[in-house]
Amino acid sequence: MLRGGGWRESRGWTGRLLVLLALGALGAGPAAAWTQEAPAEVPEVVQREMQTAQDALARAVAEFEGQQQSRSIVLFDEIITRMETLARAQPLSPRGRDLLVQAYEYRARAYFGIGLQEKASENFRLLIQLKPEHALSKETVSPKIVDLFGAVKKVLVGYLAVSSRPAGARVTLVGTGGSRRELGLTDFFPLEVLAGEYTVEVAREGYRTESRAVSIAPRATESLPFELVRTLASAFFLTEPAGVEIWVDGDLRATSAGALAPDLMEPMRAKGVDPARASARTEVANLSLGSHALEFRKKCHETVRQTVATEVAQDYEVEPVRLEESLASLRLTSDPPGARIFINGEARGVTPAQIDAICSGKVRVEVKHAAGKYIKDLVLGKDEATSLDCPIRPTLAFLGVEAASPAAQGSRTDAEERIHQNLSRLTSLNFITAPREAVDRIFEQEKLTRAGLLPGQGADPDVVRRVTNRLAAALEVQGFLIGVLQEERLQQKARLYVLAAGSTSAEPADVVFNESASYAPLLDKLDFSFAPVRPWSGLITVDTLLHPGPVVLRFVPGSPAASAGIQPGEIVVAADGHPIKQTAELLAVVVRKKPKEKLALRLQGASGERTVDLVLGESPREVPLHDPGLLYNKAMMDLRATVDGYPGTEPAAYARLNLALCALHFQDYAGAHEYLQQAKAELPQRPGLSQGTALYYIGLALERLNYRPQAREAYRAAAAAKDATVIDNDGPAVASLAARRAGP
Amino acid sequence: MTPRGGLLVLLALAAAAAAEDSPEEQARRLLENGRTYLARGQPKQALENFSIIVQSFSRTEVVGQALLEIGRYRKEVEGDAEKARAAFEQVAKEYPRSEAAPGAYFQLGLLTLDRAASTAELDDALAQFARVETLYPHSEWVPPALQASAVAHRRAGRLQEAVDLSRRVSLEYPASAAAAAAQFEAGQALALLGEPRPAMEEFQQVRNRFPESPWASRALERLTALYRLYGGPRPTFGLDSGFGLVAGDILKDVCALAVAPDGKLWVASEKSRSAVPFDASGKPGAGFSAEHPQALSVSPRGEIVFAARTAVRVGPRDVRGFSIPAGKPGEPPEPLDRILAAAVTPGGWILVSDEKREKVFRFSGTGEFRGTFPERDAAKRKVVRIVVDGEGGIVLLDREERIVRVHDEAGRPLRAVGPAGLRKPVDVAVDAFRNTYVADEEAGVQVFGAQGQPLTTITSPELRRPRALALDATGAVLVYDEKAERLMRYR
Repeated sequence: MLRGGGWRESRGWTGRLLVLLALGALGAGPAAAWTQEAPAEVPEVVQREMQTAQDALARAVAEFEGQQQSRSIVLFDEIITRMETLARAQPLSPRGRDLLVQAYEYRARAYFGIGLQEKASENFRLLIQLKPEHALSKETVSPKIVDLFGAVKKVLVGYLAVSSRPAGARVTLVGTGGSRRELGLTDFFPLEVLAGEYTVEVAREGYRTESRAVSIAPRATESLPFELVRTLASAFFLTEPAGVEIWVDGDLRATSAGALAPDLMEPMRAKGVDPARASARTEVANLSLGSHALEFRKKCHETVRQTVATEVAQDYEVEPVRLEESLASLRLTSDPPGARIFINGEARGVTPAQIDAICSGKVRVEVKHAAGKYIKDLVLGKDEATSLDCPIRPTLAFLGVEAASPAAQGSRTDAEERIHQNLSRLTSLNFITAPREAVDRIFEQEKLTRAGLLPGQGADPDVVRRVTNRLAAALEVQGFLIGVLQEERLQQKARLYVLAAGSTSAEPADVVFNESASYAPLLDKLDFSFAPVRPWSGLITVDTLLHPGPVVLRFVPGSPAASAGIQPGEIVVAADGHPIKQTAELLAVVVRKKPKEKLALRLQGASGERTVDLVLGESPREVPLHDPGLLYNKAMMDLRATVDGYPGTEPAAYARLNLALCALHFQDYAGAHEYLQQAKAELPQRPGLSQGTALYYIGLALERLNYRPQAREAYRAAAAAKDATVIDNDGPAVASLAARRAGP
Repeated sequence: MTPRGGLLVLLALAAAAAAEDSPEEQARRLLENGRTYLARGQPKQALENFSIIVQSFSRTEVVGQALLEIGRYRKEVEGDAEKARAAFEQVAKEYPRSEAAPGAYFQLGLLTLDRAASTAELDDALAQFARVETLYPHSEWVPPALQASAVAHRRAGRLQEAVDLSRRVSLEYPASAAAAAAQFEAGQALALLGEPRPAMEEFQQVRNRFPESPWASRALERLTALYRLYGGPRPTFGLDSGFGLVAGDILKDVCALAVAPDGKLWVASEKSRSAVPFDASGKPGAGFSAEHPQALSVSPRGEIVFAARTAVRVGPRDVRGFSIPAGKPGEPPEPLDRILAAAVTPGGWILVSDEKREKVFRFSGTGEFRGTFPERDAAKRKVVRIVVDGEGGIVLLDREERIVRVHDEAGRPLRAVGPAGLRKPVDVAVDAFRNTYVADEEAGVQVFGAQGQPLTTITSPELRRPRALALDATGAVLVYDEKAERLMRYR
């Protein structure tokens, strides 16, 4: 028993200890001789106390080892009082126990050093009660002290040895006060324990716990053998291959591993198991008595299901379990090609690709490209070979909703949810919610906010362009959606802004965020893809009041109309069987077709009526500079997909031209100029939309940027491109437009 | 301010006080309501709204726009160019940073353009339009200013500039209200440049790109006219056998024909001593009576100018006689009582051809004598027809000299047709492309190009003695045959 020393006020105590006293057991009782299990989480105040005690111990030990060893006694007194107080409040942790043990030891030695042997013995008693198995170091401690310690210990300590069959049981010594001390696992040699009355508990999983009372006298050794009674069964498994998860009644209980023992190889081979692939014998212990549902699972293998009945608490050897491989294959193509393939997050090459050895079951296919991505979830069956075409779609990332006022803040979460729900209906774009932290980090570095990207916030267009490009690269997306909750109280209006990567101006659309129907106009615009080419005939017709249909004025040289032998002066009266009264009707028929499709024209001419089949060609076309029905940011996303998806090709060059026109629409002349310089280098020199077109628009951009001499130079170069046009291959000639703007 | 206006002010202020709106919001609402009145054809109510803004909300940002609208009212409703100009100048000077300022410059340019008779005046108008683009490059007024500049260039004869500017508007501002007009203008300028096929393509683009615009139907008319003349190797005019007009005495002794901008065909007949309009279905409308009708023409404002021997009627209300100063001082002015023809010029002058003196005289819009036309023209001329073409050219048919002369507003000669190819010219018309059509008693209808070159002759067995001639908007030729007493159409 510890001698109750009361509380000793010590200099340096802080109020924290008072807190501990308030928390723990109060009173002048002794600290527990044994520590109970320290709480799993040590409160911070206790940790600080420990640290303080640790530091004090170091100072005290230094004093002890100094000239005046006796001076250290006061220091050890303080430490011991602290720790004893802590121990009264809550069980000491092992660290706390060690501190106290050390303090007792040093104090005892200090007392011995000044001749107070009784006090030294008292301290050794306290120490041994705390830690019966403690021993003094014979190398560093004087033999007299060691002897004294031994003498004190002898009258306090006995020995206990416990064995069990089977061994490996956990032994707990339970004192009369209910305190518990873990002694270890059977079988163990005699351990030093304080003399007294105890109960010994021996427990092993799968066996009934046994307990026995024991009285331990000082210097005496008690040996206790235990025969443990089994209560649970064990099952032993062998699998082929190894690494199979063994699930029992829905719980994962083991995973087979290792290699087959040599002595089992032949028997297993006889059972049709490949010894080279089989696992070692794997135990699943502690099975309750009764029937159990087993599942053997391994990735890319067919799951095997069995039942095992463990009626008696014994070991069961289960027949070896063989799992069959379950693989499928995928053939993936994408438009554009060269996209990275990820199957369930694992990189598996680039498109087009034949991917074999894919585990059957649920598969997530992600095909990622600079132009966008394609995501699909599939379920593949065993031996299934599937072809999947993966059209790459740009991705629109939702950056969240900003509230225009505190009143609107309360609706923010609801609004975000509804917006996400409705925008997920998009068919031509992937729609994701951007990871907030990644986005916040970039905004912080750029010293910008989400609202700063929106019109009217005064942000530098160059900054907006840079930030959107940076966000796009980081998130692997092509555009962004930002919502702003209006201050409107009656209706839950939100303004959604669409902003493409590389754009400088977001375009707004108003919705009532909890009304799905209000999203329809925006969804339609987002799902509309600007067609950069149109089917082309090269036929130029005019309407007059003199003819029953549009009359052919001319055809573009080298065009499908020229190849079909259509003559100026002939009148178009029908196209694909539809009567045609005016040019607009003819154009409407053509626009519904695709390049390389046939167009049947019925023509009236001087020699009567005839039918001509014309094979449509393709003409690139410009994005209109100002079209109120077009969502330019969406057009930019589609165009960038072409630039990124087909670099170095003609479609990419025309896409750059159109990106420049989008930038011109937003009055981003610097951005337009950049696109146009790239387009100019890539566009062909030929009749129609071509290099001359880019030169003309370069002049326009430079003029707007007030670089007038450079603008004139560009116009002069454009004027030299005699057959270049604007709008499309049939459009007005660049030359005269540019010549006028170039000036004399 | 009118009592009604005062009441409106009170009501506006009371409503505003009740609504606790700021003055800016109140003024803006008045502006929007005023524009709504205008759209509904209630200009007076609109004017009151705008006036309230100027008087009671002069510190708000919309006062410039209100002044602009007042200026437009003065110009378009009252026809008072001076008051309109004052209002626009006030906007430009006192509110240069307002949204209305570019509109003011645009309107000032239009005022100048409307009255421009010389190249210098056209250049003045161009300078006003140029300010819009230079000072307010992002304003919505830039496209209409550019388009008006194209018109100014065309009228100054700088046709290529007109084409290029018009194309700029239609290409760079396709959503602007000016885009369709600009594309149409490009077509017109190309046609005048002698490039009919590119002109046709341009007109067709008006129809393809702006099908709902009123310019689309006008473009169809131009296409029809151009194709007829230039679509084939030669111009082709065929008698429209489906055309017929039954009108009794009105179709006897027809002396003149004219097609008004509203499409009505006016027929002046000596027999009926009147000029009567016919609609497209042939139904006659209310006309004008006159003793000894002589000639018909159309003023730049679209009114019928009906010349009779002793007076000229301009539109439904303005009938006047004309007098010239007496040859000797102290004597009373001499009335013109043997008028052969009359026309109103783009500059607002009234030209009257006098048979007795064999001269064409010029009068101001208020009837003041201003000399001969051309000025200091000493020659004697028996001008039986005066028409003004769409480009402001003044066309004089001199019957005795068998010549058609075209002058500008200042009297400078521009071109001439004849006497080669003309035997007994009796009437003349000019189409939108400056092609001249001359009805010749002995030679059908002669068609000459813009440079005076013969293009074709319209003739048929039915056409024995043409007496009067007119063109409709599609370029079809309406001819009155004196012998058959029949009106025919060649299309």
